[in-house]
Amino acid sequence: MTAYLDNSATTRPSTAVRELIRELSESGWYNPSALYKPSMEIQKRMEGVRKTCLKAAGAEEYRLIFTSGGTESDNLALLGHMKTRRTPGEVLISSVEHPAVSACAEELRRMGHRVTEIPACPDGTVDLERLEKMMGKETAMISLMQVNNETGAVEPLEAVSELRRRLCPEAAIHVDGVQGFLRVPIRLKKLGIQSYAFSAHKIHGMKGTGALMLAQRHPVKPLIFGGGQEGNLRSGTENTFGILALGKAVEDWREGDSERIRELKIRLWEKLKKQIPDAQVNGPAPAEGAPHILNVALEPVRSQTMLFALEGDGIYVSAGSACASRKQKISPVLKAMGVSPARADCSLRFSLSRETTEEEIDYTAERAAFHYGMLKKYVRR
Amino acid sequence: MQDLLLVRYGEIFLKGLNRPYFIRALVRKIRYAVRGMGAEVWVHDGRIFVRGFSDLDECISRVTKVFGVHSVSPAVEMPKEDFDEICNQAIEMVKDLKGTFKVNARRSDKRYPLNSPAINEEAGYRILNANPDLKVDVHNPDYLVNIEIRDMAYLYVKEIPAFGGMPVGTNGNATLLLSGGIDSPVAGWMIAKRGVQINAVHFHSYPYTSDRAKEKVLDLARKLSFSCCGIKVHVVPFTEIQMQIHEKCPDEYTTLIMRRYMMRIAERIARETESEALVTGESIGQVASQTMTALGTTDAVVQMPVFRPLIGFDKSEIIAIARKIGTLEISEQPFEDCCTVFTPRHPATHPKMDKILEGESHLDEEALIQRALEGTEVIRV
Repeated sequence: MTAYLDNSATTRPSTAVRELIRELSESGWYNPSALYKPSMEIQKRMEGVRKTCLKAAGAEEYRLIFTSGGTESDNLALLGHMKTRRTPGEVLISSVEHPAVSACAEELRRMGHRVTEIPACPDGTVDLERLEKMMGKETAMISLMQVNNETGAVEPLEAVSELRRRLCPEAAIHVDGVQGFLRVPIRLKKLGIQSYAFSAHKIHGMKGTGALMLAQRHPVKPLIFGGGQEGNLRSGTENTFGILALGKAVEDWREGDSERIRELKIRLWEKLKKQIPDAQVNGPAPAEGAPHILNVALEPVRSQTMLFALEGDGIYVSAGSACASRKQKISPVLKAMGVSPARADCSLRFSLSRETTEEEIDYTAERAAFHYGMLKKYVRR
Repeated sequence: MQDLLLVRYGEIFLKGLNRPYFIRALVRKIRYAVRGMGAEVWVHDGRIFVRGFSDLDECISRVTKVFGVHSVSPAVEMPKEDFDEICNQAIEMVKDLKGTFKVNARRSDKRYPLNSPAINEEAGYRILNANPDLKVDVHNPDYLVNIEIRDMAYLYVKEIPAFGGMPVGTNGNATLLLSGGIDSPVAGWMIAKRGVQINAVHFHSYPYTSDRAKEKVLDLARKLSFSCCGIKVHVVPFTEIQMQIHEKCPDEYTTLIMRRYMMRIAERIARETESEALVTGESIGQVASQTMTALGTTDAVVQMPVFRPLIGFDKSEIIAIARKIGTLEISEQPFEDCCTVFTPRHPATHPKMDKILEGESHLDEEALIQRALEGTEVIRV
């Protein structure tokens, strides 16, 4: 038996997506910018995807720019918007951001802007009291993630939006929705969010596809220049396969999927806790937070050791976030939340998807408990 | 006219009556190195030539990595009758050079109308006229323009240094204890350079070390494999031994006892593979298990000589060699090795033999070693 529980790293393209890709590679491969009929057909379908995505985020009146993925969308949102500002401003970035956002800080500083980190609470969300003190006339932009990729913590976007309205109505809010899109409902217009980034391969679409939603009059300058596609904001022939697959993935998402995933997450946690009384959750309680991410510390067994042991049983999980785990550092996210280095070093991330089954959950909990029983005896003294 | 590569050998010159044996071995190794390039390797007048290759740079890169080769020169072979042609070719070969030069003619065909000093004079005069950036310096020239008149004329200017050493296999076999670190691949390379065929033993502690760690070691072996003419890597399962040591032996001695087990197992594999010595990457005092006392206790468990070519090297010197031979960037990948999994906080630096023996008395040595050997996987790279 195998169990893939690293869906925050990537998900398996759904059956419908795989079929669509086959169909497109046979007959739907035309360049959408050309003038003949098959191209126009693709163009039309692409516009349909745009609408579908915007609707799913409560942002019907927004613009949507297709990009190569979450990282590019975040870059375009932060750097592209700050490029439109003539005077230096302050950008507030939460301390638990994905590198796609946090690594932009240096570039923003080079552009002459100030970047300040918003401290995190122990549950992994931004510290609202401190944020309130940081907001002011200078604030040009606030960047937050909808769902933290390592802990599943859901940021209090409504409260942040309210603070902005009150303290710095000129500032823009950017939300990195890579881990949240569809799994945690969002209404961009209602919240008053200016930009929202997400990625297709986290929701059973294809890698290399993402998008950035932009409020109607929210100004952004391009980072990539060329043929002027995507309203001149993202040149380059559109990744039509990926874009149409994204549309399919969004259409496939059913109401109730999130709740079913959450039930499985709670089941996993309860089974783990029952067999490993020392297990601790990092971040929000399993019943709260995002439905699909469970970050657990299994002290004293190092996450790397447990990860390899589970791999031997065909169970794939992650130690920290997969993007960062090659770097072999203690997760900065857990550090920002005040988790001790020893505990962070024993922390595993289980991330579920719509395709996860009860059998996989039970098998994973059983194998983890089995390995824990043995491995906890053999740890560095 | 034809491009060829003139290959000089180094220490084989010192050999007496068995020199032909070494030259034959070297030719075999060069043939192995250029296989697939359509090249031909032959010995003429006590020198080795390679010709018929498709890509000169690739051929140079391969031949200079063959142990036993001192240096190579790209040369041109042409008819000797037309001296004007020879001079024109010499001019062509130095046309991009700046500095000082000297023509160095040799005439083994004594019927040739011009003698060596006359060739020097005439060719030198024409080169000087053709290239204003060059001056003559007969005592200490930057470039030596060699013109040899044999059954054909041979011209060469550049001399590209190679690794030197002796042809692999002319000095027997040795077994290398190969980890994923920086030192052991360098140690193996240095011993192989002396004409020794290397076998490698790697200790794998799944799930404490991952398949990636194992793949890293195989990558290191692959890197060495070209110069070493193929390496067999024996991957020994080591988890059980490490767990037992961890459980039953005094903390400060666990590393040393582990090292002793590694040596015992490596020696068994060495005997099976007809090796005459063990090779390790240790250097005095680098870590606790490499103090002189500690090295003495690991030597005590084996009967065959243990070579430690890095014994007097500083880390920076080892890193410099690792960079030169291309293993450094592989060694720097951050996958944990079995050696560091259970490292005690305070390992013994002046170990007492009686304490080691007391610790080891709790282990069923023969059974542990047998099981490890039975599980050993041999991978040829």
